[in-house]
Amino acid sequence: MIRVDALAKRFGTVHAVRDVSFDAADGRVTGLLGPNGAGKTTTLRMISTLIAPDAGRIEIDGIDTVREPLAARERLGLLSDARGLYARLTARENIAYYGELRGLERGRIDAAIDAIAPQLELGPLLDRRTDGFSQGERMKVAIARALVHDPRNVVLDEPTNGLDVRSTRSLREAIRLLRETGKCVLFSSHVMQEVAALCDEIVIVAGGAVVAAGTPAAIRESAGCEDLEEAFVRLAGEPGDER
Amino acid sequence: MRSRLAVVFLKEIRDALRDRRTALMILVASVLTGPVTLVLVASFVSGLEERASTLRVRIAGAGHAPALVNFLERADVEIEKAPEDYLAQVKEGTLDAVIVVPEDFHERWLAHEEARLELVHDDSRTESGPATRQAERLLAAFNRETAYLRLMARGVSPSLNQSTKVERVNTATPRQRGAVLLFLIPMFGILAPLLGGMTVAIDSTAGERERGSLEPLLANPVPSWVFAVGKWLAAWASATAVVVLTMAGFLAAARLYAERKLPSLLSFGVPELAAFLAVIVPLAAFTSALQLLISTYGRSYREAQTYVSYLATVASFVPLVVMFSGAKEQAWQLAVPVLGQLMALQRVLRGDGLSSADALVPAAVALVLAALAVAAVARLLRDERIVFGRA
Repeated sequence: MIRVDALAKRFGTVHAVRDVSFDAADGRVTGLLGPNGAGKTTTLRMISTLIAPDAGRIEIDGIDTVREPLAARERLGLLSDARGLYARLTARENIAYYGELRGLERGRIDAAIDAIAPQLELGPLLDRRTDGFSQGERMKVAIARALVHDPRNVVLDEPTNGLDVRSTRSLREAIRLLRETGKCVLFSSHVMQEVAALCDEIVIVAGGAVVAAGTPAAIRESAGCEDLEEAFVRLAGEPGDER
Repeated sequence: MRSRLAVVFLKEIRDALRDRRTALMILVASVLTGPVTLVLVASFVSGLEERASTLRVRIAGAGHAPALVNFLERADVEIEKAPEDYLAQVKEGTLDAVIVVPEDFHERWLAHEEARLELVHDDSRTESGPATRQAERLLAAFNRETAYLRLMARGVSPSLNQSTKVERVNTATPRQRGAVLLFLIPMFGILAPLLGGMTVAIDSTAGERERGSLEPLLANPVPSWVFAVGKWLAAWASATAVVVLTMAGFLAAARLYAERKLPSLLSFGVPELAAFLAVIVPLAAFTSALQLLISTYGRSYREAQTYVSYLATVASFVPLVVMFSGAKEQAWQLAVPVLGQLMALQRVLRGDGLSSADALVPAAVALVLAALAVAAVARLLRDERIVFGRA
């Protein structure tokens, strides 16, 4: 459960996030949708405690991220905007490093990797150095790394960027599986179809503020049009000039 | 469960070792530094000693100076006839010094007139210095003997001609002479940790950010000081490895030379090695921490590399400044990083031994500064401008 309330953040003179509030519930997939520069990544960075908000508050399973950042991070699995890997380590070592940093036993880490690898079709890549990986392959390792500790809350920043059709489908399956096991999944995207295909809840942000939120049906209704993409364009307005 | 600190440390070490080419290059360079330096320095020094130790002069026109030849033969000096082109050879450096006797030398000498000799040498060649000085000394001795005999013949005490007698007492033991030449060892001792810590320090901070792995790393539920300390320990370990290898190289080279011809030049055995490590390993803690801090601040890998190499330049200036300024050793210098270590290392090489102040003061200063630098790194890792880069 991630609860975001009246979040604001500015960098110098740039108001990256003005007023963002939403709830991402357990067992549901929440999509943060918005054009480039709408403030999605900044919002997710504040949720992951890497950036301190200027105003507003964030709770992860009831834990305040500003007051208890370490406890909040414990409950979060994050695919951040930057998803660099260690090129000289194998995919398995990359994933295991994060498991060890979270204090997991070796056995639990191996079990987690065995469980995640087939979902993301990582099997044949596991024991190769990530040096020559394609963008999609690197993304899959980064996602596996974010999930190694079986987090209750999963935050994914533009997870389908760089994935081919087949990988996108396996990622969607993986996200659905997370939902079925009662996880709270929050992901951002600027691609309408992505969000439409997956989300139970959609939060549309533009210019650093939430312009609409609700189920896909509710969004369509509030925009007064049948087509979700049309609704998005209408609600989001001009591409943000922020950031 | 391993501690988080160990996890970070071991990952950085593994990552560094996987970079085979860089690791190998650094290791080979550090192992070879000692032998190469010693071979160069020692062959130069032993060349000097060899030239000076056998008494030998080259004379052109020895036949015109039978008295001089007689004197030299009595003094057990080897006399060689100088080749025709001695002037050219001295210029080239194949001959060190040649005594040239004019035809009228013996006549004038017998007549108690001023008898001229020429000593041909090339001042610009330092290696010819000992041979030239030797020839000078021999000629001066001949001169003294002649005057002595002539004064005696006239019933005058020879001491009239010598109001002052200078006797040279050189306090430098052969070992100290070696240490003067080998100020290079302390210098390499100070540069080794800079070389050894650099790659890990840069790669684990500026490199981490450039790869885009810093942001997800810091999202782990681990306090930033754990990352700072773990990365610092990895850089320190790497620096220490290079220090040990470099010093072991010197030890091996010194052993090799001790067996051959230069037992007196340099005493660098296991006790000296131990003293060196006791001084340099704490220094490595500081240099690694400083490199880590500088690289964390660097905007990119390249920028970090540039700043870190400035650090090496500054550190290598210290020994040079000390050498050329002729600064006297003072107690406060022990507390200055690099300078303090340099003083302590030179004492070790001079055979003065390492007092506890020599070892502890620089080490304490280095460790305190290292702790401050690591704390600053931990702080920077919490700074969003550092983590996400600055415009």
